[in-house]
Amino acid sequence: MDWLVEFYNYNIVFNYIDIFAKGILNTVWISVVCLSLSIFFGIFLALMRMSKVGIVWRTAAAYIQFIRATPLLVQIYIVYYGLPTLIGNFFNEFQTGVIALTIHTTPFMAEIIRAGIQSVPVTQTEGAMAVGMSRAQAMYHIILPQAISKLISPLLGQSVILLKDTSLLSIIAVFELMGAGLLMFSETVSPSESYITTAICYLIIYLIMLVFSGFVQRRLGGTPAQV
Amino acid sequence: MEWFIDKWQVIDSLSPFLMKGLWLTFKVSMVSIILGSILGSVLGIVKTLKWSIPRALVGGYVHLFRGTPYLVQIYIIYFVLPSLDVTWLKFDSYTAAIVSLSLYTASYVTAIVESAIRAVPRGQEEAARSCGMSKAQALYHIILPQAFKLTVPPMASIYVIVIKSTAVLSVIGISELTRQGETAILRMPGDTMFIYLLIAILYFVYCYPMLKFAGWAESKVKANGGNAVL
Repeated sequence: MDWLVEFYNYNIVFNYIDIFAKGILNTVWISVVCLSLSIFFGIFLALMRMSKVGIVWRTAAAYIQFIRATPLLVQIYIVYYGLPTLIGNFFNEFQTGVIALTIHTTPFMAEIIRAGIQSVPVTQTEGAMAVGMSRAQAMYHIILPQAISKLISPLLGQSVILLKDTSLLSIIAVFELMGAGLLMFSETVSPSESYITTAICYLIIYLIMLVFSGFVQRRLGGTPAQV
Repeated sequence: MEWFIDKWQVIDSLSPFLMKGLWLTFKVSMVSIILGSILGSVLGIVKTLKWSIPRALVGGYVHLFRGTPYLVQIYIIYFVLPSLDVTWLKFDSYTAAIVSLSLYTASYVTAIVESAIRAVPRGQEEAARSCGMSKAQALYHIILPQAFKLTVPPMASIYVIVIKSTAVLSVIGISELTRQGETAILRMPGDTMFIYLLIAILYFVYCYPMLKFAGWAESKVKANGGNAVL
């Protein structure tokens, strides 16, 4: 076992367990908040994208394409440096990070939601309206229940991507899992313990998500999650 | 008007600097895409064969690289591997960048190639085999050409993700576009926002055609009921 301790001294890692626990907690918390916010705004963005009014869907499409074609790191920098010049130092790093990630994830959510709604055949709406439902009723009772079962797997896939994306927030000094690894590295200067522990923590979260998405898939059917 | 002249001077003095960064971003991303696609295609084919041990190994590799953020991977490949005291693992920052990005690309490509091969109906292979082709011949002449068309749209989206991931390389000091922008900001701290927007636009110019192509190819595949005719 000597060679293992030489390369990966788990005794040092035990001293940092509470820091990594806090990091995991923050990563999960940031992801949950961003996920909820981006689904909420994503529904509106998807409806805007499907609107028939030119200026509305064009604005939505421009926003979606701009976010999809630029790196998250640059978007984080733009929000991090841009937000204070617009409204002053109103938000701390943590909140700025959540805002940047939400701005980044919302278009992806909107595209998933749009694909889900559009995957339900038009005849379903027509059928619902033929039996006397209004458009809103048809959406609520007929379209959305069918769309949601198709949404679940891509949503889970996007959640995994979101969890991994939170690591970039460490660059603007948000304390999360990657931040925990960097903190440990700066104190112990032992790269293998710090970074491999970080990777293992991410893998554990990923595997939990993988098992969960397999479970959801068996219960709801649909295509496997692309993570 | 004065604002425009001011900003134009910023663009004018920075453009050679940023273009150098964009060129490096282009080079690093293209090399990684090519190496990653080759490796990923081979691994994807291995994953559809019946050898259980290589299949499990490839599966483990895919989960390892898709389950961790790219930032963590680059830290491990750049900082941890050299501490192993193996001579050929002592990467400089460029090698580390190419190796990590290629492995990252390959992990996505593996999954794409595997699912594309599985999407080709079994009858195709059976028919080829009953015509007297060997397994390798059937794979090469019948399965892969059909599978290849199915891989085009998801590959294009993966390439966009890879190009965007090169921005992370700025943390290990590769002077690609984002890093060049950061250096420029040190020179002109008053124009931080403007320079970041400029970088974003350059990335957009690079990625948007690829994104459009992915969308177009996907609509082609869908219109043909999953059997791509490109």
